[in-house]
Amino acid sequence: MMQGVLEIKNLKKWFPITAGLLGRTEGYVKAVDGVDLVIEKGETFGLVGESGSGKTTLGRCILRLIEPTSGEIIYRDQDITKLKGEDFQKIRRKFGIVFQDPYASLDPRQIVKSALIEPMRYHHLVQNQQEAINRAKDLMRRVGLNEDHLYRFPHEFSGGQRQRIAVARALTTDPEIIILDEPTSFLDVSVQAQILNLLSDLQEELDLTYLFISHNLSVIEHMSDRVGVMYLGKIMEAAPKDVVYRRPEHPYTHALISALPIPNPALSQQRVVLAGDIPSPANIPSGCRFRTRCPHVKEICAQKEPLLEERQPGHDVSCHFDLKLSSPIPIPESSHR
Amino acid sequence: MADETLLQVNRVKLDFHTYVGEVKALDGITFNVGKGEALGLVGESGCGKSVTALSIAGLLPENASVTSGEILFAGKNLLTLRKEEMRKIRARQIAMVFQDPTTFLNPVLTIGEQLEEVFLLNPEHLAAVASERGGSKNNTKSTLSRSQQKKIAKDLSIQVLKQVRLGDPNRVLKQYPHELSGGMRQRCMIAMALARSPDLFIADEITTALDVTIQAQILELLRDLKRDFRGSTLLITHDLGIVAELCDRVAVMYAGNIVEIADSGELFANPLHPYTKGLMRAIPMLDRRMDRLETIHGTVPDLINPPSGCRFHPRCPLALDKCKSVKPELLQVAKGHTVACHLYDEGNA
Repeated sequence: MMQGVLEIKNLKKWFPITAGLLGRTEGYVKAVDGVDLVIEKGETFGLVGESGSGKTTLGRCILRLIEPTSGEIIYRDQDITKLKGEDFQKIRRKFGIVFQDPYASLDPRQIVKSALIEPMRYHHLVQNQQEAINRAKDLMRRVGLNEDHLYRFPHEFSGGQRQRIAVARALTTDPEIIILDEPTSFLDVSVQAQILNLLSDLQEELDLTYLFISHNLSVIEHMSDRVGVMYLGKIMEAAPKDVVYRRPEHPYTHALISALPIPNPALSQQRVVLAGDIPSPANIPSGCRFRTRCPHVKEICAQKEPLLEERQPGHDVSCHFDLKLSSPIPIPESSHR
Repeated sequence: MADETLLQVNRVKLDFHTYVGEVKALDGITFNVGKGEALGLVGESGCGKSVTALSIAGLLPENASVTSGEILFAGKNLLTLRKEEMRKIRARQIAMVFQDPTTFLNPVLTIGEQLEEVFLLNPEHLAAVASERGGSKNNTKSTLSRSQQKKIAKDLSIQVLKQVRLGDPNRVLKQYPHELSGGMRQRCMIAMALARSPDLFIADEITTALDVTIQAQILELLRDLKRDFRGSTLLITHDLGIVAELCDRVAVMYAGNIVEIADSGELFANPLHPYTKGLMRAIPMLDRRMDRLETIHGTVPDLINPPSGCRFHPRCPLALDKCKSVKPELLQVAKGHTVACHLYDEGNA
C-alpha cells in the first residue's frame, strides 16, 4: 500500500570520535542508527524528537549534506546514496531544504536576487538572466514578498521575512520534496503562524512533499499527515498523526506527548514523567535504547533490541510489548483531511 | 484586593541606551503580586518580560535606566535602594532563576561551594538551625565557629538538593556544573533559590532551554514545591501551556506594556485584548483542531521608534482612530480582569 516517493532503509550516520595524535577512532556518536521510513507523495511527514535524537542529521543525510555511513535512500527507484557527480546533481535539485536559523542560512553579502538565481543557473534551469529574474520575481510573490525586495540584503529583513526568503530559495530548483528543519523555531509565535500557513499554501499550489522536522509537538501535529517519533537515532513509532497523538503504542511517544503542557487550565492531563536524562548517542544502551527511561521496562529489553514492526497498516512500533496505553491527552478527532 | 500584596510595580518606564538610540523597553507597566500567589508574565521575545524581572531583582545592565515609576516590595521602593541593600534583599528575600543555568553557575566552583555560600550568607539562620538541633550543645547563638557553620550549611545543602529531587546529593555537592546535565543544573539553580526561603521567587523561562521530557520533570518539581512554598512566584515564559499549568493569574505583555491581566482560567476562557486573542489563535494547540492558523499580521515593533498611542495598533484588526494617538490604560472590565484597550472604554464596550 505504501507508495513512497522517498524511502529510507536502515540509514546510519556514525560520527567517529577520534583521540590521540594519529586520530585513532575510539568510538562513534551514533546520531542516526538504522532509520527506516517511507514518505508518500504529497504528504507532510513530521519527524519529532528531543535534542540529540538525530532528526536534523537524518534530514541532512537525505540531501547528502552529510554523507550517510550506510543505508539506502531511494528516490524514484534509485538509491541516491550511490549516485555520483552529475547524476546526483540532477536528483539533488528535486530536493529543497529550509534551515532553522534564517540569520545564519542567508549569505549577508549577497542580495536576495543572487541567492535565488544562483541555484537556477547552477542547475541550468534558465536560459538567460531575464528568465532567471522573472522566476525569482514569481517566487517572491509566492512567498508573500514583493519584487523590490530582490535587491535588498538579508539584514534589511525581519526574521519572518528572512524565513520567507529561505523558503523561496528552497523552491528555486522546482523541487518535489522539501526538508523543513525547524523552520519556525527561531520566530516569534505571532510570526510563526504566518510561515506555517505559507508552507501549507505552497504545498497545495506546488504539490510538494514535506519532511517537517521539529521538536515542537504542537507544530508537528498541526502540519503533519503522518508522524515519526525519533529517540537516540531510531524511529520508535510512526503512524498517521491522530494515532500518534491519541492512541500511541510506544511508551516514549506516550510520555513525550503527555509531557506537553496544554494551554487550557480546564483540561486535566495525566502526565507521564520520565526519569533521568537522554543517554549520550555515543553510548547507546544495549537492547532497547529507551529502556533506561522506560516505565514499563522488563528483562528482555536489556538483552534484545526490538524491531520497528507494522502492527496495524501504517502504524509501526518498536517495542517488545503490546502495552495498553491510555490516550496521553484529550484531543478532538481530526476534523480535516 | 482581599489578599495582601507583596510586590507592587507602579508605572515603571525603562529605557535602554544603545548606540542606535533609546530603546523604550518598558512603557509604564503596573501590576502586583499577592502573598503566596503565582503570577505568570507572558509575551513574545522582546516584549519586556525579562527586563521587568531584572528590574525587580535589581540586576539591570548598566545601559538601562528606569525613568519613572516605583517597585514596592514589602513596603520598600526597590528602585531607590543602595546596591548593598539590594544585595541583602537578593540574598534573603528575592531569588531568581534564569533560562540558561550555565551562565549563572560558576564553572570553577563545585555545586557544594556555591550552594553552601547561600547558607553562609545568613549566619543567623544557621545559628537558629544549630540551636534547634543541639539540645545537648551549648546555646551559644550567633557565635558558631566557621567550621560549625560550614557543617550545618552542608547539611542544609544536602537537604535542599533532596528537595529538588537530585539523586545522590552527596555526589552532586562535589561536582562542577559541567559534569551535570541541563536538567540537573536547572535543579541546582532552583535549589539555590529555595535555599533562601525567598518571599519572591522569580523564574525566567527556566524550562525553555530544556527538552520536553526534562521540562516535564522540572514542571512536576515546581508543582510539588508550590505546595510547600509559602512565598510568591513570578513566572516568566512565552509558553501559554506552562502558565495554564502553574499560575493563578496571568499578565500578558506586548511591546513594553501590560495589555491584559486576569485569573488564568478566565484569561484562557475569555481573552479580551485583541493581541491576547490573536496570540491564542495563532498558536497550534493540541486540544483543538483548525485547518488554518489565524495570523497577527506584521511583526513585533521596533522599540526605538514604537508606534504612537496603543503600541499594538498597527497590527490590530480592530484599531480605532483613537488607538493611533491615545495610549489605553489598564481598565477593570470584570472582577479581577483588566485590559488596556480602547475597545473596552466606556461607550465602546
